[in-house]
Amino acid sequence: MSSAGLAWLGRSALGAVEGVGALALVAGRTAWALRRLERRELARGLVQFGYGSLPLALATAALAGVIVVVQAGLYIQRFGARAFLGWASGYGVLWEFGPLLLGLIMSARIGARNAAELATLKVGGQIEGLRGIGLDPFALLVAPRVVAMEVSMLALSTFTFLVAILCEAVAAKLTLNLPLRVFFGTFADMLGPFDIVGGVVKTGAFGLAISLVSTAVGLRAKGGARAVGEAAASAVVLGCAAIFLLDFLLTTLLSRWST
Amino acid sequence: MKRVLSFFGAPVVMLARTVRAGLREGVPLRETLAQVHELGGRSVWLVMSGMAFFGAVLVTIANAQAKKLIGNVAVLGPAYFEMLVRELGPAVSALLTAARAGASHSAELSTMSVNEQVEALEMSAGDPYADLVAPRVLAGVVGVPLLSVLGTVAATLSAVVVASLAFDIDGRAFMDARYVDGWDLLVAALKAVGCGLYIPLAAAVAGLKARGGAEAVGEATTAGVVAASLGCLLIDLAVSLAFQFVRL
Repeated sequence: MSSAGLAWLGRSALGAVEGVGALALVAGRTAWALRRLERRELARGLVQFGYGSLPLALATAALAGVIVVVQAGLYIQRFGARAFLGWASGYGVLWEFGPLLLGLIMSARIGARNAAELATLKVGGQIEGLRGIGLDPFALLVAPRVVAMEVSMLALSTFTFLVAILCEAVAAKLTLNLPLRVFFGTFADMLGPFDIVGGVVKTGAFGLAISLVSTAVGLRAKGGARAVGEAAASAVVLGCAAIFLLDFLLTTLLSRWST
Repeated sequence: MKRVLSFFGAPVVMLARTVRAGLREGVPLRETLAQVHELGGRSVWLVMSGMAFFGAVLVTIANAQAKKLIGNVAVLGPAYFEMLVRELGPAVSALLTAARAGASHSAELSTMSVNEQVEALEMSAGDPYADLVAPRVLAGVVGVPLLSVLGTVAATLSAVVVASLAFDIDGRAFMDARYVDGWDLLVAALKAVGCGLYIPLAAAVAGLKARGGAEAVGEATTAGVVAASLGCLLIDLAVSLAFQFVRL
């Protein structure tokens, strides 16, 4: 343990504290700015984040559904429990793969774009300009994005689950030759409303994390074109890290609560 | 339709050009090593911590499923380990790498093409495909399989620890290699190599196309990450389905 190691430890600890502080500041000021939210920007965000991501989200959902069936089919055949495929893969997609894959793809699409847009504004001095003419950048730029992202993620999650489950049923029919009736039979019998709530809660938390992390990263950018690229890249990385961390925490919490 | 075609076609064209340029001009070794460090070394923390959390989540889910079905989670252990090694380990590690490396590659390349550094390279008799793309592709083919091995190890260890501590069962069932055979390892290797090949290509397609100012860099980065992540999911599915149909 040399002094270089200590310096590295100190630097990363400082970086972590700084990051958490920046995130808390952005979250606090966004909550404060919610009352004076810019409506037009919110509408633009809803169209861009929600409607604009629909094809990508549905493609992800279809892939997630088929992947879960192909993978669950592997071990469900080992136990000769083909009839339970509907329940097992429904559970997998609602609790884990639907929210996780949607979160990762949306972090790539929207997290990167958010950070890049805000970083472009910051680098061009336009955020200072807004402050200079007495406008609050948080009410104008950040709060609408956070709200639009949250609403979009919650809305997209329902479509995602629906499409993923339909694709699962079709994939089960095609690859394992499982009748649709059997698939939906165990699906309906063994899953309750709480299982859907778990998935929606997770998706909502991921949406919040993506929007807060990406705006915080975008607003910290300094420099030229290089800074914009770096902000977009680190927004994706930190967004993914936050998603995996939240996934773990929420799964532990919700599974304890449900039993 | 045009977008779908270009989604599949552009990386193929990029690969063909890169291979041809790399064979003609030779690939710089130092740059390749630097890219292995950039893609592999600097993604290790993200892949390993992400996969450790993912392994813990998998055990929690296995526990919840076992409670309804059998009652004993340890019975599910070997099958979960096979699924982790064959499917989820390489797939999720590759997705995490796609997020990190796809974003940083396309940000880097688009900054270079926006600042006309790519043209400058061509003016000084360099070949962007041989000097910029080929090292990244080689780094991906080497780096992503190594990262998925590390990620699978991290997920397995955290699954074992969580199963032993939180659910009070013999966690070693989750590293029981009873069902794992050579075909599982082949599937995993194919997925990892395919994703490792695809991620830098998708990032290069998005990055080298960028024209304009800082805004174009942001757009190229977004496009690069989205293409890389979606492509990894598709490769994952294609390999799984192919082996599912021949029942191996």
